[in-house]
Amino acid sequence: MKKHNDVTSLARDSRFERLSLEDQFSDPRNAVMVGRTGGTGMRRRLDPARPGSPDRARSLMHGIFTGEIQALEGAGRTCFDFEVGTGDDEVPFELKLDMARQCWDEARHCEISVKLGEWMGTEIGEFAETTVLFEAACNPDPVLRLTGVNRALEGLAIDVFNTMREFGAETGDPLLHFCEDWMLADEVTHVKMGSDWLRRLTEKDPERRSRALEFQRVVDKLFSGAGFRGEEEDSTIRLARRFRELAGFSTDEIDEISELSRQSRDEARARIAQRALTEAS
Amino acid sequence: MAKVIVTPETYNLVFFDSGRIAELVGEAADKAGFAADAEIRVEVDERVPLGRTKTVSLDPISIWVEGGAFEDAKRPRQLSDQSVQDVAGRLLFRAHDRLGGGFADAPDDDGLTLPQQVAWDAYAVGRAERAGLPASRSRRLYHFRNRHGFNDVADAAFDRLWNGVDLTWADIEAACQETAAAKEAASA
Repeated sequence: MKKHNDVTSLARDSRFERLSLEDQFSDPRNAVMVGRTGGTGMRRRLDPARPGSPDRARSLMHGIFTGEIQALEGAGRTCFDFEVGTGDDEVPFELKLDMARQCWDEARHCEISVKLGEWMGTEIGEFAETTVLFEAACNPDPVLRLTGVNRALEGLAIDVFNTMREFGAETGDPLLHFCEDWMLADEVTHVKMGSDWLRRLTEKDPERRSRALEFQRVVDKLFSGAGFRGEEEDSTIRLARRFRELAGFSTDEIDEISELSRQSRDEARARIAQRALTEAS
Repeated sequence: MAKVIVTPETYNLVFFDSGRIAELVGEAADKAGFAADAEIRVEVDERVPLGRTKTVSLDPISIWVEGGAFEDAKRPRQLSDQSVQDVAGRLLFRAHDRLGGGFADAPDDDGLTLPQQVAWDAYAVGRAERAGLPASRSRRLYHFRNRHGFNDVADAAFDRLWNGVDLTWADIEAACQETAAAKEAASA
């Protein structure tokens, strides 16, 4: 069986349609949205008072579902791609056990997400699938991969689940609130796993730890999606400080992610404004 | 089939076909009960990928949509036949209601509360589905529960509206009052 699959090798049936980052960023309507959404072209906070919020929640829930599939594939790949050993391209057996446990959690999350989708009136494959999450799980260095998946991706999952959990509470949706709360608890565990293994595997290799944390910064900035996730009032996904602290992130680390999000937002604003200027001239 | 005029005729930012939109809206208008000589105008704001829609006039019937409302959720910038008929069915059944006597007391669309809007939508989309237009009952039920409560009273009210025939504005209001009372009792 092939090791180190890239994103193009993901297996999906005919219900799924993939959307690339290039397609998302090249949509000419982004420039028009600049003036309407604080300059980012992104949509605003998931506010239950807005008429379209149930449909936005449905779309986000479908994104969570495809994200869970990719998280399952990522953890499964980490389990399979690396042999047991002490080399830089090898991992301890206990790490594989943790990844196997995570696969179990992610598989359960997939099933919960499918059922929540049905509850919210969504069909599998109703919305496009983006694959940016799995792309963070393709690094050939197990430490960098673990950092990208268990600290960046699973950290994003904490923020997303907390946002949906709050939406469920505000709208009085008992199932959404309950399920997101339980999945959130799992994600806190996954992030802690990533932090623990990062510390253990790089204990005597500060240069490798530094590279892993830099990789996490790159992934976190990508996941901030032009302010999609952040601490601004209109960020769709709010940074969940309390749950990130429970997962072992320090205040400095959370501040840094918040700053990366702000940078990502400013860069997107500048990029879209520049494109609008170019198209107008 | 009703005469449907779509603006703009051509699109620069999305891959929409105004002829196809006219055809789909015309079919929906027939099913909503509009006469063959009725004129229906559709204005599409192709610049906006969001999904807001509204009826801006009843004489002639004029509907306005953001491009995202007619878009394929899986293929950005592509037209979705299903989305066009879903939106057109909902708006045209409601417009047809307003032209009859039973909804004379209804506020203008801008004056409707969110619970009133989704209750009327449930009645409109339920009829659209029975007329053969694409519609998702579970999606509408989720919208309804968001505004009327996640409880048995709300679900029963939704069923009455979805399966309703010849309802009036008084029926919509009664459903809203019933679910509001149930929410209040639950929170007391």
